[in-house]
Amino acid sequence: MSDFFQLVVAGLSQGAIYALIAMGFAAIFSVSEIINLAQGEFAAMAGLIALSATGAGLPLPVAMLIALLSVGLVAVVMQRVTIAPVKRMTTLTSIILTLGVSTALKALMLLIYGPDARGLPALPGSNFVVAGVSIRAQDLWILGITLVVAGAVIFFYDRTVLGKALRACAEQPVAARLVGISPRRATTIAFLIAGLLGAIGGLLASPISLTQWDSGLTLGLKGFVAATLGGLVSIRAAVLGGLVLGVLEALVAGYIDSGYRDAVAFVVLIVVLVARPGGVFSRQAQARV
Amino acid sequence: MKKPSDVVGVILLLAVLLLGPLLVPVSVSGAAVYAVIYAIAAIGLSLLMGLAGQVSLGHAAFFAVGAYTQAILVTRYEINGGIAAVVAVGLAMLVGLLVGIPLLRLRGHYLALATLGLGIIVTVIAIETPFLGATSGIFGIPKPDFGGRVYDSPDEYLWLLTPVIVLGIILARNLVDSRIGRALGAVNDSEVAAETLGVDTYRLRLKVFVLSAGYAGLAGVFFAHWLAVVNPNSANFALSVEFLLIAVLGGLGTVWGAVVGGFAVEFLDEGLRDVVPLIVPGATGEVQLIGFGVILTLVMIFLPGGLHQAFRGLVGLDGRRRSRQGKKTTTLTSQGSPESDDEGPLLAREGRPAPGSTLLSVTGLTKRYGGVVAVDDVDFDVMAGEIVALIGPNGAGKTTCFNMISGVTAPSSGSVMLSGERIDGRKPHVFARHRATRTFQNLQVFGSATVLGNVMVGRHLRSRVGLLRSMLGLAARAEERAIASSSRGVIGLLGLTEDADRPAADLPFGRQRLMEVARALATEPDLLLLDEPMAGLSGAERRDLATLLRRLRAGGMAIILVEHDVEAVLALADRVAVLDDGVMIALGRPEEIRTDPAVLAAYLGVEDDDPEAVAAVHELATGTGPEDAGGER
Repeated sequence: MSDFFQLVVAGLSQGAIYALIAMGFAAIFSVSEIINLAQGEFAAMAGLIALSATGAGLPLPVAMLIALLSVGLVAVVMQRVTIAPVKRMTTLTSIILTLGVSTALKALMLLIYGPDARGLPALPGSNFVVAGVSIRAQDLWILGITLVVAGAVIFFYDRTVLGKALRACAEQPVAARLVGISPRRATTIAFLIAGLLGAIGGLLASPISLTQWDSGLTLGLKGFVAATLGGLVSIRAAVLGGLVLGVLEALVAGYIDSGYRDAVAFVVLIVVLVARPGGVFSRQAQARV
Repeated sequence: MKKPSDVVGVILLLAVLLLGPLLVPVSVSGAAVYAVIYAIAAIGLSLLMGLAGQVSLGHAAFFAVGAYTQAILVTRYEINGGIAAVVAVGLAMLVGLLVGIPLLRLRGHYLALATLGLGIIVTVIAIETPFLGATSGIFGIPKPDFGGRVYDSPDEYLWLLTPVIVLGIILARNLVDSRIGRALGAVNDSEVAAETLGVDTYRLRLKVFVLSAGYAGLAGVFFAHWLAVVNPNSANFALSVEFLLIAVLGGLGTVWGAVVGGFAVEFLDEGLRDVVPLIVPGATGEVQLIGFGVILTLVMIFLPGGLHQAFRGLVGLDGRRRSRQGKKTTTLTSQGSPESDDEGPLLAREGRPAPGSTLLSVTGLTKRYGGVVAVDDVDFDVMAGEIVALIGPNGAGKTTCFNMISGVTAPSSGSVMLSGERIDGRKPHVFARHRATRTFQNLQVFGSATVLGNVMVGRHLRSRVGLLRSMLGLAARAEERAIASSSRGVIGLLGLTEDADRPAADLPFGRQRLMEVARALATEPDLLLLDEPMAGLSGAERRDLATLLRRLRAGGMAIILVEHDVEAVLALADRVAVLDDGVMIALGRPEEIRTDPAVLAAYLGVEDDDPEAVAAVHELATGTGPEDAGGER
């Protein structure tokens, strides 16, 4: 039984990372109906920037802050330079466009940081054992920070004027413009939020799962699957989706074969889309076709 | 192939592939082999994006399925290469089918992300399965030999590939120009309109997806033989991006673009692998991705039509110029009228239900949006050979009723029976298959087609050449001619002959409306739903349309009409149903409706900002309708 709980703890910690990426997908999709395929790259990039900053002798918190701000900037620039100029943004266009950006970012990281996988030092704290289950300090940091961030994001969308206006942009562009927020500016803000969320995920994950130039591919895909569990628009459901996916993966890896870990997300995606295309954890039962 | 440009293209390609190897160094031929193999995969992807409007981010997965299957069959079981290739392509298509069945029902981004996942899965399975050679893969695949030749040098292999890609191009071009290609083009312009004309969007998209998987599988087969080794890298992300880049750079949906893109990207790939390490010392691995990513992004922003668009711009085939000329000629000659003025029955059909028998039966039809009831428990029947009008103030639920009857939206409760079969909640193409169709209040024009092209989509259900026969060109030509001539007939009925070859998007509003009616009539419906057909028409056009509708009625067609022009409605309809706030408050002959107190109250109750309703109240109250519809028949 302690095996089981051990796997669940590891799964929750990994799932929290997926949750952070998934919130980024939802933040952008709910405002602009764009699936940002570069979402995973935000995470990988944050890890690599922080790694080179610590490598240059900067203390870890400063390195993390630099990474966070840099990735936020990259996300905003990405929106301004590649998304904003496109007049007719269809699903097809947005997918190919963000895939192009994601591929370019991946290659840029390969050229700058090389092909090796490296990990940031873990956040402070000592590991301990509860009832036969060993818990790493980093796991607690990951879960704690994810819950705080998720709470903040939910508060932002539900309680602040700017957050409500962003949501309104997707449903009522004209009304949103009337209260002083243009869809374009809303999309910029959404990208900033998504960039920061991805960066936090990448920084937290790096000590455990290491970072390399193409880490963003699987992280992005799994974040998307987690977001799909919530119908791509709900922040709460995205968080829940991330945690569930993380635990499922850990159980499959532990009880079946660790090689099949990466297959779980795809199977979950297909099952969810067949059974509940509107999302498992969301009340909206039908996909908007 | 129907177009001279295709013939020129094939001759050029044959010249390059057959004579080129004799003229260029072996290293260039070697790169050309990859260019041709990747172009074969990209043709399928281009069809998927251009025709089905969907994108696969893991097309290398199908490529790998084809390559692995071929490798295993040839090396382990010593099966003849040709037979193995058929199995390999079939298996790639089967995987495509299994992935496509659940995903193509949904919006485009799900297929994109799921195929991205599929690429990862195939890589994982290849690495984890000893039977598939795990990380080292399968090697020792022999070079093909038959007809007394061994195709083992780049030049020989290019000659082997030549008939394959030429055939691949011809099949794909035939498909684009066929009935299926036309239907899918219409779907990309307006899915709902294509569906109501009988196009089963999901099935067609699924077929194109499976076909595109087949092209990728075929490319994989030739890849396996050429490289002699297949390993998990053949499913990797970089290769999927390369396929996508080829298709996007060439121009989505353009078969020739994929071929040109194949060569452009392969030489770009080779060049980047050489150049990037010179600029960035020590760069290793998939460095070519930097160029792929940047070019993909730039093309989408500045040249969404790809090289094909650039080429058309250069040689002056620009669509805008052509349409401007079209406009000029028609301003001189337009204002057509129906070609024949007689009043006889039109478009009667053998086997149509006899006039007076019930065709459509609506019971308890209800639609709720959250707490709002848009349509509340509406019942009515429509007989063959009658015109029923549906009137009511703005927001009364008329269009919602149409949407539920035609399958555009599912009712919250209630049933719709058409020709004795329940169709509520089914898709619009099911409605169309039961010989019923509709037009739209907010026009749904297929903007990338001409008027004739629009109306020809209406013949979709009255023609039968499917995907396979379209690709082979069998019997397709004769049928295309028949479709075009019957479509021109219907266009004539609506007085649009002058406009037949103009781009539909260039027509004025009113004539686009008439074109939608023509498109609907082309399906030879027994039941026709018209949503505000008179809006935007001139007085003469309105009279002509009314005459046409009477003649259709005389031919036995049933027509339901939503219309704001109450005067026209009372003159035309046999029976009138009045909706107010989602409730049907009256149903009867026009002279009964004219004096119905509930109807008068409903129209008087509306706010003054609806001038049409105010005018309608005036007409109803004073009885100034020009003629009494009751005495018409």
